[in-house]
Amino acid sequence: MALEDYLAEAERCSQCSYCKWVVFDHMESWRFSNGCPSIAYNNFNSYSARGRYATTLALLNGTIQYNKKVLDIVYKCVTCGNCDVSCKVCRYNLEPLEMIHELRFKLVEDGQLLPQHMLHIEHLRKEDNMMLKPRADRARWADGLDIKRISSERADVVFHAGCRFSYDESLWPKAQAAVTILKNAGVNIGIMGTDESCCGNRAYDMGYSNEVKLCASRNMESWRKAGIKTVVTSCSDCYHAFKRLYPPLGSKFEVLHTTEYMDRLIKEGKLKLTKKVPLKVTYHDPCNLGRQGEAYIPWKGKEKKIRSQIIVYDPPRPRYNGAWGIYDPPRDILKSIPGLDLVEMERIREYAWCCGAGGGVKEAYPEFSGWTAGERIEEAMATGAEAIVSACGWCERNFLDSIEANGGNMKVFDIAELVQQAI
Amino acid sequence: MALSKDVYKELEDIVGPDYISNDPAILASYQFSLSVTSIHLGPFFRTNTPCGAAVALPDSVEEVQRIVKICNKHKIKYKASSTFWSSMSYPSHDDVVQLDMRRMNRILQIDTKNMFAVVEPYIIGVNLQAEAMKVGLNTHIIGAGGSCSPLASATSYAGPGPDTMFMGYGSENMLGLEWVMPDGNIMRAGSLGAGLGWFCGEGPGPGIRGIVRGALGARGSMGVFTKCALKLYPWPGPAKLHITGKTPAYQAELPDNFRVYTLAFPSWQAWADCCHKIWNAGIGYLAHRQFNMFGRELKFAMIKILTDPNRTLSDLEQLSKDPKIRKVNEEMKREFQFIMAGMTPRDIAWQEKALDKILADTGGWKVDAMSDPEIAKWVMAYLIRLGHKNLNLIYSGGYEGCFGSFGPPDYGSSHVEEIAEFKKEWEKKGAIGDAGGDCMMGGLGGLGGGAYVMWENFTTWDPHDKDSVEGAFEFFEECDKFAKQRKWAKGMERGNALCRGSDGREFPKEKREQVLSQSPQAHVFRYQQKIRESFNPNNLGDAHYTTLETQK
Repeated sequence: MALEDYLAEAERCSQCSYCKWVVFDHMESWRFSNGCPSIAYNNFNSYSARGRYATTLALLNGTIQYNKKVLDIVYKCVTCGNCDVSCKVCRYNLEPLEMIHELRFKLVEDGQLLPQHMLHIEHLRKEDNMMLKPRADRARWADGLDIKRISSERADVVFHAGCRFSYDESLWPKAQAAVTILKNAGVNIGIMGTDESCCGNRAYDMGYSNEVKLCASRNMESWRKAGIKTVVTSCSDCYHAFKRLYPPLGSKFEVLHTTEYMDRLIKEGKLKLTKKVPLKVTYHDPCNLGRQGEAYIPWKGKEKKIRSQIIVYDPPRPRYNGAWGIYDPPRDILKSIPGLDLVEMERIREYAWCCGAGGGVKEAYPEFSGWTAGERIEEAMATGAEAIVSACGWCERNFLDSIEANGGNMKVFDIAELVQQAI
Repeated sequence: MALSKDVYKELEDIVGPDYISNDPAILASYQFSLSVTSIHLGPFFRTNTPCGAAVALPDSVEEVQRIVKICNKHKIKYKASSTFWSSMSYPSHDDVVQLDMRRMNRILQIDTKNMFAVVEPYIIGVNLQAEAMKVGLNTHIIGAGGSCSPLASATSYAGPGPDTMFMGYGSENMLGLEWVMPDGNIMRAGSLGAGLGWFCGEGPGPGIRGIVRGALGARGSMGVFTKCALKLYPWPGPAKLHITGKTPAYQAELPDNFRVYTLAFPSWQAWADCCHKIWNAGIGYLAHRQFNMFGRELKFAMIKILTDPNRTLSDLEQLSKDPKIRKVNEEMKREFQFIMAGMTPRDIAWQEKALDKILADTGGWKVDAMSDPEIAKWVMAYLIRLGHKNLNLIYSGGYEGCFGSFGPPDYGSSHVEEIAEFKKEWEKKGAIGDAGGDCMMGGLGGLGGGAYVMWENFTTWDPHDKDSVEGAFEFFEECDKFAKQRKWAKGMERGNALCRGSDGREFPKEKREQVLSQSPQAHVFRYQQKIRESFNPNNLGDAHYTTLETQK
């Protein structure tokens, strides 16, 4: 696809602004009624999906040229996909999130880059991670951990730690907990160690579509050589890459998030949670596991009209609208932990508020990223929970940073840590 | 001519540099496409409203006042909008200062005892409803949906909707008001103007409803409304809608004291008789002919799609040929949706009994397929919240109602079939969506006994397709002639055609004056001209406040 392919959508956007709000059916209060962090923080219409359709149209028509503001509009978005869900409550022929990605691909193609992104992309090209750390340190998180190294031992399942869990030392216990739980439940699991590559998802979100192809190629080659059947990850960014971005590039591997795997093991009786964890928690749906966690469905087709002017697709086009994201496995795990009290925030599941770490925003616009996380922490506090639990290292890091900056007693857990406590 | 640097600086000093922009990239998102939903004037292919000179986001009445005063000082036109979902919200001239009211987004008060709320411009219907429901109250949501600003419709337009039978029009719900007048002075109207709070729109204190609203609301052309109080109404449901279901098939739990029906009739006469009898009996919370907007031949297939998260529009062709679905469409050819809410168990029992008697008297019935719990709960969520109104544009992105009218049920219903036949012929030509001719929809009833029905026959087109847009325009022109030949009232689809022309700019004054001077109530527009001269001496609005200078 190219940006020109979104001209029709840009002209068919009704400018209704549903993309700015949480899904109306689920709006429970004035305070937590925003859906799109970008418009909520930046205010001008341009910082919404409808505004970015207008930007697309104006660029294609030549009524605006690239300038700093255009870059700001295009890149100051967490690509969380809330706009996509709210739009698609009514529209079946618009793809706002795809359009936003395509805008970024176009800017990157035209050399309209952000230096903050370039820093990470250059590092990715040299050291194969987005964390500005040496490649050689990638497996340090697992030092001393009794887990198979797939370079020397065979395993059916690979645990992909991802850049955040690999290099963010304070998050290491979360990844260690996840892989240990699976191993102890009898899963023949191992790690790639320094042969693990960045998944490419964050580069993709920044607009570097080619980088994800290179990352996919490296990872898939390693998995193939090692005879891997299943890829498991605790990182929702990686999950999205493997589940949605890799299959069109040829991936046939089974992909599971650790929450899916643990939920399966609990339901099969292979993982027993017996110890009480007396804690009141709320669960944050990571965008890339929830509304963007729907499995890839191959499609090649074209638009056609029926009944004169009704737009459909031939063959029918898969619809990614958040209906089939991964929402219940994490909740089912939490509900199975004795003594744990799960309370829900107002914006959850497909209409969850983003943590603010995605879309290259944490790297390029840290204030906006922090504000978005702070909003979520406030929402979590409003439930009376003592802790916010998630299933993604990026969300957890952003919440920790926000709490450190703004104060407060809210604790941040990965689900795996609570499961470990309950075993 | 862009704003001078000095004027821009003056405005920037008011709102701060983060809340004003004249960057072309920002201004591009403050233009409206007139090929999409033309709002009663087009559609016009690839035509936008004029680009503003700058957009400013004020945060308080004081900031609004200072902006308006600067605009008066420099004779610069300005236009404020809350949600920007209508061409009426956008400039008709070049170099207009646009006010985006989104920072004024507070609910200032909900007075449960006196049943009103005080809101700012960027509060939307769903915001207010969610908060009101917590205290057992509800707010009227206009037909355009819960994403619209109740302040905007109450102060500046008509505001009918599905719940109008119980909660009135937006314009009927306006109480105390804070208005930055066109010259920059602040008027506090109704009881607010007498320092007695927000509870009344007409006094004690200055009663200026007629001045600020005129015939149909000034549509952003007579100053800026910064706060108003709105009447609230009883909500005998839960403190929050309990929503279940996968997107987009959201459903609201049906409390025991609620009933959701689709009522159908053997004839249009019976349909109209039922409306009168319902109003006479004083039953019902909401009445709307809603889903016929998808078209007589497609409506139940569309309901099947929208209530099943696995389906898409690609299923429409097959579903619409299904004999069972066609049978339901035929059964509910002349129908409307009706929600009853009992304030007590005895009340809902009585309403149910009254409805059954009315149906027996008129030969009407409750459509079983629509009473399926999965569908009824979806209808409940849809109509109470009105959060899916963008379904108006589901088919291809362009929509407008034709033959729009307000009137007694007998009036519109007597035209439905004739209009449907006329439209069906046009649907065959290919420019507009082919949905079966009759796509008539609208709300039934009004406060104090009803007697009013709003009708519009939904017409859809593809804004990306020049032939479709131009064909739709031609169709609307023909609708106008068709109605004129039959001496029917002018359809709402041309309601703004004298405000804005095919180039997106103000309709030429000479031609406007010519048409208005021949209108049956020309004196209204002459009177509005006098109001404008008094209150808006620099004429910094546009033709959406309809005035007539010509005396004869």
